[in-house]
Amino acid sequence: MGPLYHLGRYALLIKRAFKKPDRQKVFWRRVLNEIDKLGVSSLGIVLIISVFVGAVVALQAAFNMESPWIPDYAVGLTTRQSIILEFSPTIISVILAGKVGSSISSEIGSMRISEQIDAMEIMGVNPASLLVAPKVLAAMLINPFLITLSMAVGIFGGWLGALASGALTGEMYVFGIKSFFHLYDIFYALFKTVIFAFIITSVSSYYGYFVKGGSIEVGHASTRAVVSSSILIIFANLILTQLMLT
Amino acid sequence: MIKAENISKSFQGTNVLNDVSATFKKGQNNLIIGQSGSGKTVMMKCIVGLLEVDKGNIFYDDRNFNKMSFKQRKELRREIGMLFQGGALFDSMNVEENVMFPLTMFTKWTYKERQDRVNFCLERVNLNNVNHLYPDELSGGMQKRVAIARAISMNPKYLFCDEPNSGLDPRTSVMIDELIDELTRDFEMTTIINTHDMNSVLSMGDQIIFINKGEIAWKGNKDEILTTNNKTINDFVYVTEMAKRLKG
Repeated sequence: MGPLYHLGRYALLIKRAFKKPDRQKVFWRRVLNEIDKLGVSSLGIVLIISVFVGAVVALQAAFNMESPWIPDYAVGLTTRQSIILEFSPTIISVILAGKVGSSISSEIGSMRISEQIDAMEIMGVNPASLLVAPKVLAAMLINPFLITLSMAVGIFGGWLGALASGALTGEMYVFGIKSFFHLYDIFYALFKTVIFAFIITSVSSYYGYFVKGGSIEVGHASTRAVVSSSILIIFANLILTQLMLT
Repeated sequence: MIKAENISKSFQGTNVLNDVSATFKKGQNNLIIGQSGSGKTVMMKCIVGLLEVDKGNIFYDDRNFNKMSFKQRKELRREIGMLFQGGALFDSMNVEENVMFPLTMFTKWTYKERQDRVNFCLERVNLNNVNHLYPDELSGGMQKRVAIARAISMNPKYLFCDEPNSGLDPRTSVMIDELIDELTRDFEMTTIINTHDMNSVLSMGDQIIFINKGEIAWKGNKDEILTTNNKTINDFVYVTEMAKRLKG
């Protein structure tokens, strides 16, 4: 099966997923459940990684920019830009592709091999609309909040790191954080986040939805989902950066 | 009544069903039997629309399924109930939610009305006080009964059962057979059962179709199957030691 076959089948699945839901009330209830499952349950890992990476970025910046030509506040500025532009939207999304993507793919894949999806089909329910669309929509809604929190916590971690290093004062770090700030950077980061959320959930759903075989194939599908969505995120990041920042 | 007319299906050049025609009557247990890999599951999946036929037509009471639009098929499917081999219960939902699922999706009934219907269906399959249990808390036989309750919740005209006895002990198998038989007659459904359980064949087979290598090799009923001289069906029926001894 070539890439065009997968692309076509993926497009058809997404088209089917976003058809008018059979029952609006059930659909939106599922969206809320998915927000809890995909977003709220990822909060812990996102916050822990963000605070430590923020601290490390600040430490790296402080130790690599020891020059009389570079002002101290550049540590804050560098940390902020690294976290807002790349770390939070891209790296956290890749981490979520691993956590959320494998869970989506194995959940839908298990439903496929245990004929639960066929059961929905026989009842006249659109399984793609009931299983795929709420996950995609939920991630596109909740991930921007997760990433915004990640940014805030990452910058806070940077402050802790900067203080711990003793290379600059807290006031200087905060001054760096406030310097040359463009609101557009936040918009750019959140826009990327929404696109990445779509990639993670739709690609993982695709691999789960079309599983054939047994539990070993569900495992393979889960691995393929994580690998494919991670690569697609990195690729989409390149294109979006080229389009939006140049 | 369901009619399959000259249906054929192949996978990657291999013919699985070859020009098969059959009529499945209302209010009767219509059994499709055959060895594993004979094409009976493919036939059921073609009839129910989970697989598209390469050739031929399927009629649901003179409505040509193959010529229906997506929307018309969706409407028709509300008249279909299906019992899957493994039950196919939604494992994120408890028993009540599973049986209520089609009602929630397709009726505008109040919660109370839906709950009454769920309780009625569960009572019909002899299950009480299991509403809040999850599928993994039920035995195989109970899961099958919940699946039957879900299949009949929308009061279907057509009931499909794919290997209803697989994985069940003989006593539970008989109970499931009796239940399907009773529901078929009480609700006047057209029931199609896919099985290779000879006990089911002999107890429920109002009409039996024997599929061999993708073709209908024999047609008859539960009495005729014991007296036929057809070698292919005899080789299938009398393969076990017990059956050979009974035949004498």
